[in-house]
Amino acid sequence: MKLAASIASILILAPAAWCHHSFAAEFDGSKRVTLQGTVTKVEWTNPHIYVYLNVKDTSGAVTEWACEGGPPNVLLREGWSRTSVKEGDQVTIEGALAKDGSKRCNSRTVNLADGRKVFAGSSEDNAATNPGRGKQ
Amino acid sequence: MRILYAALLCAVPLPAQWLNYPTKGTPRNPDGKANLSAPVPHRADGKPEMTGVWMGVTKYMINIAADIKEMPFQPAAAAEYQRRRASESKDDPSAQCLPLSPPLRVSITSPFKLIDVAEKEEMLMLNEGMRQREIFMDGRPLPKAPEPSWYGYSIGRWGGDDLVVESIGFNGKLWLDINGHPTSDALHLTERYHRKDFGHMSVEITIDDPKMYTKPWTVHEETRLLADTELLEAVCENNQDPAHMIGK
Repeated sequence: MKLAASIASILILAPAAWCHHSFAAEFDGSKRVTLQGTVTKVEWTNPHIYVYLNVKDTSGAVTEWACEGGPPNVLLREGWSRTSVKEGDQVTIEGALAKDGSKRCNSRTVNLADGRKVFAGSSEDNAATNPGRGKQ
Repeated sequence: MRILYAALLCAVPLPAQWLNYPTKGTPRNPDGKANLSAPVPHRADGKPEMTGVWMGVTKYMINIAADIKEMPFQPAAAAEYQRRRASESKDDPSAQCLPLSPPLRVSITSPFKLIDVAEKEEMLMLNEGMRQREIFMDGRPLPKAPEPSWYGYSIGRWGGDDLVVESIGFNGKLWLDINGHPTSDALHLTERYHRKDFGHMSVEITIDDPKMYTKPWTVHEETRLLADTELLEAVCENNQDPAHMIGK
């Protein structure tokens, strides 16, 4: 847990992602979700990338989730690419749930099965680290 | 920690388009990296060379008024701002991939490129969303009755070593930040770009919008040069957010 916590703190300090929209309009930062599953598709598109993954619940039922990430250019400048996550990869995504109840999340961390963390930085990081938010 | 280092090492830059390509004329440190503290470069006529890829350091992206104690709102503007805050900015035009206001443009963490076309007496401002602003430096006046538009009409001049840009003719739909500080079609914007050294530029922005604010007010933005890179295309082709932005 200590390692996980230190990684999380570094990710939060990572250069802030471009905030294309208000995080809180779409996602609830207090409703966390950890999704473990198989990547079915990656959309390396603007204004956000999406990682789709099939998640199996305890009964064996499979649900497809869509998790939003940063814009491609921000991720490219952080050193990631369209092949950093590929169809078939096993991933664990931690993020915030969509407010409208859809199977969507804003990904804060994406972990590959080999332990690599990819796509650091989310619009939530930006909201969390910007001291001006909500002041006025 | 070993896992952490491995994770960070995996994030090495990959060659992609002109993401990493040495820019001619960039002063270098002994290690070959750009010397961002080097002196301001100058044009042949002695004016500062403003050309470069710049990016805001984000302080006012969410809330342009973060350091202003009391905003001089007109009553209707205060009400509209409160409405936007209450709905968590779900109607933000930039979330629909509509244009960013000039103050948001220089504070957001997405780069813009200034290109000084001195021989044409024009300054161009490009961004990754494939939209441009043209700033005419040929001494023309601001238009008398401009057709309202997202970016307005801009003229520029040198004020000492500062590039001073004045703009009017906005359509009143621009938000000054993600929080939603409003503008009207009466907005008269003054931007003062001051290159402090090779890698740092401040931007003083004065918002004069009598329909929204009882008096002009000013914010100071800071930007940094992104060395040895260029703008990358970012066409808004897969905007899934608006359909899911329900606000509170």
